[in-house]
Amino acid sequence: MSLQYVILEAFNNIRRNALVVLGAILAVFISLLLMFGTLIFGEIARVNTLQWSEDVRVIVFLRNEFRDVDALQAEVKSWPEVADVFYLSKAGAYDEALELLRNNAAALRVIEEQPTILPASLRVRPVDLNDYDTIVQRLQGSPGVERIITAGPQVDALARLRDGLRVVFWVLSVALGVAAVALIANTIHMAIYARREEIEIMRLVGASNWFVRIPFLLEGMIEGLLGGVIAIAVAVGVYRLSLDRLAELPSFIDIQIGNEFLVRWGVLTLVFGVLVGAIGSSLSLAVHRYLRT
Amino acid sequence: MIRLQNVTKVYEGGVVAVKDVALEIAKGEFVFLVGPSGSGKSTLIRLMMREERPSSGEIWVAGKHASDLANWKIPHLRRSIGTVFQDFKLLPTKTVYENVAFSLEVTGRPRSVIRSQVPQVLKLVGLSANADRYPRQLSGGEQQRVSIARAFVNRPLILLADEPTGNLDPATSVGIMRILDRINRTGTTVVMATHDHAIVDAMRRRVVQLERGRVVRDQHGGVYERRLRTASEITEELAPTLPPDDAGAPGGYAGGEVSDREGSA
Repeated sequence: MSLQYVILEAFNNIRRNALVVLGAILAVFISLLLMFGTLIFGEIARVNTLQWSEDVRVIVFLRNEFRDVDALQAEVKSWPEVADVFYLSKAGAYDEALELLRNNAAALRVIEEQPTILPASLRVRPVDLNDYDTIVQRLQGSPGVERIITAGPQVDALARLRDGLRVVFWVLSVALGVAAVALIANTIHMAIYARREEIEIMRLVGASNWFVRIPFLLEGMIEGLLGGVIAIAVAVGVYRLSLDRLAELPSFIDIQIGNEFLVRWGVLTLVFGVLVGAIGSSLSLAVHRYLRT
Repeated sequence: MIRLQNVTKVYEGGVVAVKDVALEIAKGEFVFLVGPSGSGKSTLIRLMMREERPSSGEIWVAGKHASDLANWKIPHLRRSIGTVFQDFKLLPTKTVYENVAFSLEVTGRPRSVIRSQVPQVLKLVGLSANADRYPRQLSGGEQQRVSIARAFVNRPLILLADEPTGNLDPATSVGIMRILDRINRTGTTVVMATHDHAIVDAMRRRVVQLERGRVVRDQHGGVYERRLRTASEITEELAPTLPPDDAGAPGGYAGGEVSDREGSA
């Protein structure tokens, strides 16, 4: 009966102060949405900028049977438009893929089964970061070239955006998290006040301190959890929608991120919400005079 | 069962509510605390239930060192004490039955115990027929009987009653006193703070009279008021009448006697 009792009490309290509780849940929701959104966006940025670090603009995948790599590398390097070229072997490509796909178990499995499936490549950094068309044109005819992919300055923009947003979002998220703690503490405060007579009698007849407190603690945690659930639902919903809407993004930007990532950080976000709720209600329980002895 | 040694309680702001009180109450006794408002009756009750800590002195209640009890142990002490107040303290949203059951529920008793104990204690206070009513549908006397039922339902060793008849007319008060007497006969120690002369005089039980926080009279089979005398006069007069020992509690109460009467006040 005890568990049933405490859960029932927690929901009763939530119903009693619906509006105030809604405010608290909203604060948790926004805070966690920013947090979770930042994490998703960070992952998209990471996946899309990894291969293009150090101002690489052109990646030339090489045929498996091609042996004359050194010659090709030297030739490309000699072109006036090229600042630097480096070679990534099959082993290097494998390592890179492991990093790239670390949140995508299905793709990872395929690669781990066939470690040599990924081609070796040349990575080219042009002198002028916005002008790599000539390089591509010259490479197109070369023997041994399987496929060429390029990335525009959008990649840099993406990285810059990530760095900028990261700071702003985390600050906002933490600030709202603090506000959420305070708002939850307030809802618990009201719940305690509404039930002060009951609490007084419980204490008179010898209910243990935890028996009195747990429904309130649970209420805060449920509020935090609800905020977290809504945040995840909205974040994942928006993400899914953008997958459809943004099909025409530049081909080099891939906004697919693994489900593992969403699940792992989603669970963590929920835990965080529950934690915010627990801290809020604990604060309220700690200072409340009806519970003090 | 209850022992107070040199107990003084000074509230914040310097109000001395209880001053150097020594008091020993044996198991199964029925004790009236009498005296004018502000004489310290309620404070004594609050000290016994560990709602307050004494500023100095020692208090033992039901075998526990109440004056030195850690906060987290208070619930255990409270489970051996029933409390009744002038204002009943019933929950308006719960029925009579639920109000009484509440006390068992929140101390984690199994449902089977609740189902057997609540009707039993409602019968004891004569409210079996009103089990499904709400407090507002009851008279003051009936409400107070619910509150007594709630205090007694877990069979406490001690029942503390602070002005339980304070809001009731004389006829109703008699009914309440009958119930308290019945409870006392089961071996439960009863301590009752009251102003009610008629009740005290009719019951002829032990009377502890307080004046400005001091015990000025402690008399067995006493009445409410006597001519005021000096403390030394009282002591002298009471010396031979002080109880040698109470001859065992009436009724078959199985609880062990925890406090004893050695080292009397």
